[in-house]
Amino acid sequence: MRYDIPKPLRQVSMVLDLNKCLGCQTCTIACKKLWNTDEGTDYSYWNSVETLPGRGFPAGVHDPATGGRTVEGGVRRGVVPNLDTAYGRAWTFNHEEARASAGAPDKIWIRPRETVKWGPNFDEDQGQGDYPKDNHYFYLPRLCNHCTHPACVDACPRAAIAKRREDGIVLVDQDRCHGYRFCVEACPYKKVYYDHVRQVSTKCIFCLPRIEEGVAPACARQCPGRLRFVGYRDDEQGPIWKLVEKWKVAIPLHPEYGLGPNVFYVPPMSPPKLDAEGRPTGEPRIPVSYLESLFGAAVHPALEALLAERARRRRGEASELMDLLIAYDWQQNFRLPPRQREVLG
Amino acid sequence: MNRKILLMSAPVAMQPGGYVPVAYADRTTPVTAAAEIAVEPGSGGWRVTLAWACPQPVRETVRETDRFADACAVFAPEAPESPWMTMGAQGLAVQGFLWRADRPGLWAIRAEGLGTMQRSAATGTQVSADWDNGRWRVVLSLPEWPALAAQRRVALAVWRGGAQERAGLKSVSAGWVDVA
Repeated sequence: MRYDIPKPLRQVSMVLDLNKCLGCQTCTIACKKLWNTDEGTDYSYWNSVETLPGRGFPAGVHDPATGGRTVEGGVRRGVVPNLDTAYGRAWTFNHEEARASAGAPDKIWIRPRETVKWGPNFDEDQGQGDYPKDNHYFYLPRLCNHCTHPACVDACPRAAIAKRREDGIVLVDQDRCHGYRFCVEACPYKKVYYDHVRQVSTKCIFCLPRIEEGVAPACARQCPGRLRFVGYRDDEQGPIWKLVEKWKVAIPLHPEYGLGPNVFYVPPMSPPKLDAEGRPTGEPRIPVSYLESLFGAAVHPALEALLAERARRRRGEASELMDLLIAYDWQQNFRLPPRQREVLG
Repeated sequence: MNRKILLMSAPVAMQPGGYVPVAYADRTTPVTAAAEIAVEPGSGGWRVTLAWACPQPVRETVRETDRFADACAVFAPEAPESPWMTMGAQGLAVQGFLWRADRPGLWAIRAEGLGTMQRSAATGTQVSADWDNGRWRVVLSLPEWPALAAQRRVALAVWRGGAQERAGLKSVSAGWVDVA
């Protein structure tokens, strides 16, 4: 019996420009320190940044076999990721042992006590290709997509997950949650986590106490690269509408699952491959076919628009798109209701 | 009353939401085929013993994300018409006691339909559970249980954690069982 998921009055949204992500994890730490410092959430990252091409976080997240949706958008049984092999345990370290050996002839180095199998961004900066010809990688910051048709909402037999009427933020009612983890299993983005101490599901709340005050989420505000834009989908004066609807350069991750993600990405452009003599070939290092496996066919026109506008700007012509993406005026990245707008001083 | 009950797989097609009925549509055979149940009046209450085969027990789930504990529950109807397979209905509740292998005590539970179960600490109860030679044996010492005293019927559910059973993924008695 499917749930009737009412359409929210508005939908808050985020756009992330992957051409500007430094992989610095400031967003990850900003989120982690704010929301997930309890013992049962030690391994969980509502916001994570992974290196792609790579296995992602949790490992295998971009493998269609792990999610609760087929690539045609149908329901299939997903996987609850394992703490050791998919998320990676939060390791403990032998600090005392190492400190005690400071004056000893045989020093003991600091190392994890546990056998390390995986962790967030574990394959950092590995990427693919051969240096210097076509080696490549980029960073993919990820958070809950606060989907229009959330798989997690659909999966909960207790109806403990819902979309907020005011802004479409997807929230877990932890008083109702019994920790069955069908939501974890069903979400193909694997952005619902399980608090193994409190035995309830947890997920990104889009920093809703901040949103209610007109302040952008911590991951967006703390981003040194100024690559995140926050606003409402229907605000035609805002960056989200301009990037998603007008310029169509911001596209969702894995649209094939049919969940209607409300987090969008400006796909990464890349320098050209080199031929055997070291000359640029004109072919991008990041294979467009790989980007298509992440973002769908819409990545082609998105990249074309980005390249065309970049060329226009290089010719000295005006480009609203490039000006917006460069974020000359950072405050314009965040357009939340004016009556709630944060006063930055 | 002391008898062996053949169990069935709880019908997943009626589970709430769009995911479980489709993703687990293949769960038509009960993971646990049968259970033994004994219900005896005790000193001011009841003693309920449940036993069933479980080749690989799951007792611990702490610090794990993908493990589910073995569990069992015994229910009684609050009203003569309280339906069992749907965990009661609005105004026709079922109530009982839930044991889970990763917890020390019992939960008192009550539901008025699928997805509505409320859990609370079961005061005045004791539980002992032993796994030996491929079988769980769980003894519930319960206080006065007016619903059972009035309706004289019980139903039971068994979850095998190793088979990822939780919530509506469970083996259940096909209906209420009379308590002599």
